[in-house]
Amino acid sequence: MHYINIIITMASLSEEVLLVVKRVRQRKQDGTLYLMAERIAWGPEGKDRFTVSHLYADIRCQKISPDGKAKIQLQLVLHTGESTTFHFSNESTALKDRDVAKELLQQLLPKFKKKANKELEEKNRMLQEDPVLFQLYKDLVVSQVISAEEFWANRLSLNSVEHSLSNNNKQEVGISAAFLADIRPQTDGCNGLRYNLTTDIIESIFRTYPTVKQKYAENVPHNMTEKEFWTRFFQSHYFHRDRINTGLQDIFSECAKEDEKGLKSMVTQGVKNPMVDLLSLEDKTLDEGYGTATVPTTSNSSNKSLRENSNSAIIKRFNHHSAMVLAAGLRKAEAPSDQASETSSTDGNSRDSDLFQPPLKKVKLQEAIEYDDLQGDSVRKTISLNLKKSDRYSHGPIPLQSQHYSTSQDIINSISIIQHEMRSYKPRLTQVMSSSAASSAITALSPGGVLMQGGGQQTINQLVPTDVQSELKHLYTAAGELLRHFWSCFPVSTPFLEEKVVKMKSNLEKFQMTKLRPFQEKIQRQYLSTNLTGHLEEMLQAAYNKFQAWQTRRMMRKT
Amino acid sequence: MIPKLCYFLKLLVFIILNNLILKLKLNIDGLLVYFPYDYIYPEQYSYMLELKRTLDAKGHGVLEMPSGTGKTISLLSLIVAYQKAYPLEVTKLVYCSRTVPEIEKVFNIIYIFITHCIINSYFKIAFQIHFSSVKYLSFLALRFGKEVDGKCHSLTASYIRAQHHSNPSQPVCQFYEEFDAVGRQVPIPPGIYNLDDLKDFGRRKGWCPYFLARYAILHANIVVYSYHYLLDPKIADLVSKELAKKSVVVFDEAHNIDNVCIDSMSVNITRRTLDRCQTNVETLQNTISRIKETDAAKLREEYSRLVEGLKEANVARETDMYLSNPVLPDEILQEAVPGSIRTAEHFVGFMKRFLEYLKARLRIHHVVQESAPQFLKDIYEKVCIDRKPLRFCAERLRSLLRTLEIADIADFSAITLISHFATLVSTYSKGFTIIIEPFEDRTPTIANPVLHFSCMDPSIAIKPVFGRFQSVIITSGTLSPLDIYPRILDFRPVTVASFTMTLARTCLCPLIVGRGNDQVAMTSKFETREDFAVIRNYGNLLLEMSAIVPDGIVAFFTSYIYMENIVASWYEQGILENIQRNKLIFIETQDAAETSMALEKYQEACENGRGAILLSVARGKVSEGIDFVHHYGRAVIMFGVPYVYTQSRILKARLEYLRDQFQIRENDFLTFDAMRHAAQCVGRAIRGKTDYGLMIFADKRYARADKRGKLPRWIQEHLTDGSLNLTIDETVQLGKHFLRQMAQPFRQEDQLGLSLLTLEQLQSEDMLQKIAQIAQQA
Repeated sequence: MHYINIIITMASLSEEVLLVVKRVRQRKQDGTLYLMAERIAWGPEGKDRFTVSHLYADIRCQKISPDGKAKIQLQLVLHTGESTTFHFSNESTALKDRDVAKELLQQLLPKFKKKANKELEEKNRMLQEDPVLFQLYKDLVVSQVISAEEFWANRLSLNSVEHSLSNNNKQEVGISAAFLADIRPQTDGCNGLRYNLTTDIIESIFRTYPTVKQKYAENVPHNMTEKEFWTRFFQSHYFHRDRINTGLQDIFSECAKEDEKGLKSMVTQGVKNPMVDLLSLEDKTLDEGYGTATVPTTSNSSNKSLRENSNSAIIKRFNHHSAMVLAAGLRKAEAPSDQASETSSTDGNSRDSDLFQPPLKKVKLQEAIEYDDLQGDSVRKTISLNLKKSDRYSHGPIPLQSQHYSTSQDIINSISIIQHEMRSYKPRLTQVMSSSAASSAITALSPGGVLMQGGGQQTINQLVPTDVQSELKHLYTAAGELLRHFWSCFPVSTPFLEEKVVKMKSNLEKFQMTKLRPFQEKIQRQYLSTNLTGHLEEMLQAAYNKFQAWQTRRMMRKT
Repeated sequence: MIPKLCYFLKLLVFIILNNLILKLKLNIDGLLVYFPYDYIYPEQYSYMLELKRTLDAKGHGVLEMPSGTGKTISLLSLIVAYQKAYPLEVTKLVYCSRTVPEIEKVFNIIYIFITHCIINSYFKIAFQIHFSSVKYLSFLALRFGKEVDGKCHSLTASYIRAQHHSNPSQPVCQFYEEFDAVGRQVPIPPGIYNLDDLKDFGRRKGWCPYFLARYAILHANIVVYSYHYLLDPKIADLVSKELAKKSVVVFDEAHNIDNVCIDSMSVNITRRTLDRCQTNVETLQNTISRIKETDAAKLREEYSRLVEGLKEANVARETDMYLSNPVLPDEILQEAVPGSIRTAEHFVGFMKRFLEYLKARLRIHHVVQESAPQFLKDIYEKVCIDRKPLRFCAERLRSLLRTLEIADIADFSAITLISHFATLVSTYSKGFTIIIEPFEDRTPTIANPVLHFSCMDPSIAIKPVFGRFQSVIITSGTLSPLDIYPRILDFRPVTVASFTMTLARTCLCPLIVGRGNDQVAMTSKFETREDFAVIRNYGNLLLEMSAIVPDGIVAFFTSYIYMENIVASWYEQGILENIQRNKLIFIETQDAAETSMALEKYQEACENGRGAILLSVARGKVSEGIDFVHHYGRAVIMFGVPYVYTQSRILKARLEYLRDQFQIRENDFLTFDAMRHAAQCVGRAIRGKTDYGLMIFADKRYARADKRGKLPRWIQEHLTDGSLNLTIDETVQLGKHFLRQMAQPFRQEDQLGLSLLTLEQLQSEDMLQKIAQIAQQA
């Protein structure tokens, strides 16, 4: 009789303790030093709380007392400049204890150091990569229009959206395809088999075979213990290759059937990619009875030997297993994208995206016939613009009350109508204007002509020297940034925003005084007639007006 | 049987060639050719040169060029340019390909070609595609081609339409009526039509797209469809009969063309067929006796018509052409139907007798093989059936079904099959064999008699094609050895050439693994294939490769049963578990839907970086139709030499025939057949110059000169003496090295001037000299 022994090692759910060193003194007090996954802590003897606790991220470096010194110590220097010293006081093993702790810290600290510096590096990188941002930083922060924190507060939050995304849904770890192989039974010497199960493997089994999970939920713990469940699992034919002989008393026979069903439904669902669809591969023209290939006989399956049957069962099972493993890995990744497509369809956008996305078949065909290397460089891969609301994109933020704007469908329709008209367009050659009239009209419409006088736009390029132009550009970006901060405060709903809006207003004024004025004076000195800063001033004025309005309203409410 | 209208033509193309504005303008031997890309491969230029010579000589050609070197676009560019330059010499391009995706690819290439070429609005082109599932237009609910055919016929047959005239309540097909009324007069607007476009066009106009396509095929400049429409006499008669003689016919992916030819002329008859035929005969008998009571005049009229041999006068109606003759046009007798089967009852009686005879023949306990004349002699002795009435069977049945006004012809497939067999067996005395097997070889206890009437000579079916069209081009990536195709298809080509792939880096790495690490020879030879050591070594090879090859690996076995056995013993030995640590495993099954799913999952696994292994079968569907580009196939492993199952009697008969008629030794043919399939399998992984992949031939027999020499030149070239008999370890080392090198970035500049040319580079003198060496005349 075989018996099956199962060991389930549970990983500790609480904080993981990597190292415990007893008899460590700190400030002349005996205690215990704990090295945990993210922090180092020390608690005095006999108390169950830590009096010293440092995150690894806060630690700048560790120092140790030189060999040969009487006191064996380890000092931690924090980023803030403070330091903590531990004294290893266990006479016999002090040196060894210290070295073990040191080694471990040595491994741990660099990991966290990166994390701490990451933010700074990130800022640095952003400034280096983006010259516009760097200019802005110089204009606003270096000249102390706004503080560095304010400047970054907004920037990093933009970035951290991506960060938080990647941090929150950490990339799902896939399942090893060979997880069943990892539970190879070991004979334990007395005619028994021993399976080692870890939580990871159980997790893998559950994720790959949801039916087993379901069985587990049904039966454990009311009908049987966990151990019993797994014992049965390994005894079951379900787990073994000759799955075709599942007995009725086996609780997993149902699972096998479910699997079969799942496989069938997968098959009947068919494939999305037409290039791998073997069913439609052939333009099948041979009728039944023609051709040299032998006709598959109906009695075929029944006269197959048992061995052949079990062989094909293995093949089926492998396909199913691989598909399930693959699906388990993808399930998590697919979920959000499903959601996204749902939301997009609810906001009436799906039609647009359908319109612009070529069907899968076309894409696959295109891929199949493309020769990248024959193509010249001119062909550059374009990224398709994925719009949530394409109407908004093509019209800009128009106030909503103006009801009469056309949908993209209208536009497409009208384009096609115009195209259609253009195709059938025939010039009525008898009723055209005389050539002299036409040529005079063309002259009038040419640059320098009567109708083109107002076009001063082009000349500004030549009128204004380049250094002034670039300065103006900087001013624009700086003003734009400040105004963005300003406008982002509205509607002012929290006290924090109130504070910010006031500060921003003063920032704007400061900007006008320290940056804009000198520039205006400079222009005046150079006798440039055109009013280059008019628009900037208008923008600032608009902000001031808004601020005024908001302030008066607030006053009114207060009184 | 119903001719396969249901899978009718794929694409037809009209071009009125006019002004082309193109990226590259090439001078191919004095012909101005427009090429829709900025660059060109040297071998494409060479290929076009050879093609031009073939067209100039108005002869046939056999051209081998590896896939992924832009064969199709070269063909199209040159032939279209030729058409434009000599509109009287070449009027039409008929492009035949094998699988549906292949056909669609060609179609899309045409699309690229045209859109890149034309700016001028005067340019008028029209391409068309057709598929008779377009009949779905009117019968959306019917799923099967056959049913659609039957339904269609019941609405469009000439007598139905005649009845409609007198009795408007008789339903007819509006789409056909509309087409018949105006469709032929109104020219189809020039353009490119694929299947869907044509359906669309038909829907807009209210014309039946099926008949529209059949009509349009005659006027199109380019027609793209499947082999069968040209090779299968049953379909070719309907579809391709009136194609102009001055057409250029291209058979792409033609490495299996002999099998297509043979399939189209072969018939299998089982007991089930005979049973169904029996019911058909009874139905016919009942209908005849019923009609005799009500409308005897009709039968008399048919009789007199047959006496006069005027059947053809009536046949011209296109909608009645649902049954066609299974034999080739020049074999059909142009005389009156013999008296013994002229009356309907006599014919039915005749069929009954024939049927009984066949039943008796199937009631045997040992295998019988005989030739057609032997069969005819026997049938004359036993049931006194002459050769001549047998030859008219197909024609006579067609006439009868029409006379009886049986609208739903779908049920009569069994009797049609029998009548076709009768006509074939009495028409051809050579090139065919009859084999009656009482049971399958593997299951000798279960009686399942089958009569195989199998064609052994592919040249019979393809002969009219070579005879009729001025140029027929046979091309594929794997046609080696080139001289065998002209021999088995019995034609005299003017050009026979094989082109290599010019490469800036050797992106293919063929390796022959002959031994395991334990020095035991690896081979799938029949005697040793069950050997434990061989199976284990095969397993170890796959395991080692799975550890070093990124993304996808495709492995081919010689047969399905062999794969099943190996997989089972790998499972028992725990090899598969170890492989699973590296990659997911997917396995081809005999069920196409299941395999499609496995394939898709396989691609998914390659796509998301997990990597996967696909175990598949040479000669299977995957090996024939699925490409494993780039990361979908970084290594192909061919386990064993894929010889065909040599114990099959049909194959033995064919081998004998080849030996006697064409002086091709059995072994030569078998090796040729095995090597073309092996080359097909390993070639699946390399689909272009930017692609790369390992090709591992895991059998020591590949190292022999007679096998190696039959591989295509573009593979042979890279097979060095050092890689002929490797152990697994050596293979792994070489593979690692190769993969590491290939994984380096590969830019266009690296290729330029070597395997990729600009116009200036192409025109330089020494490049032209180099190009001249690319083509190797066989």
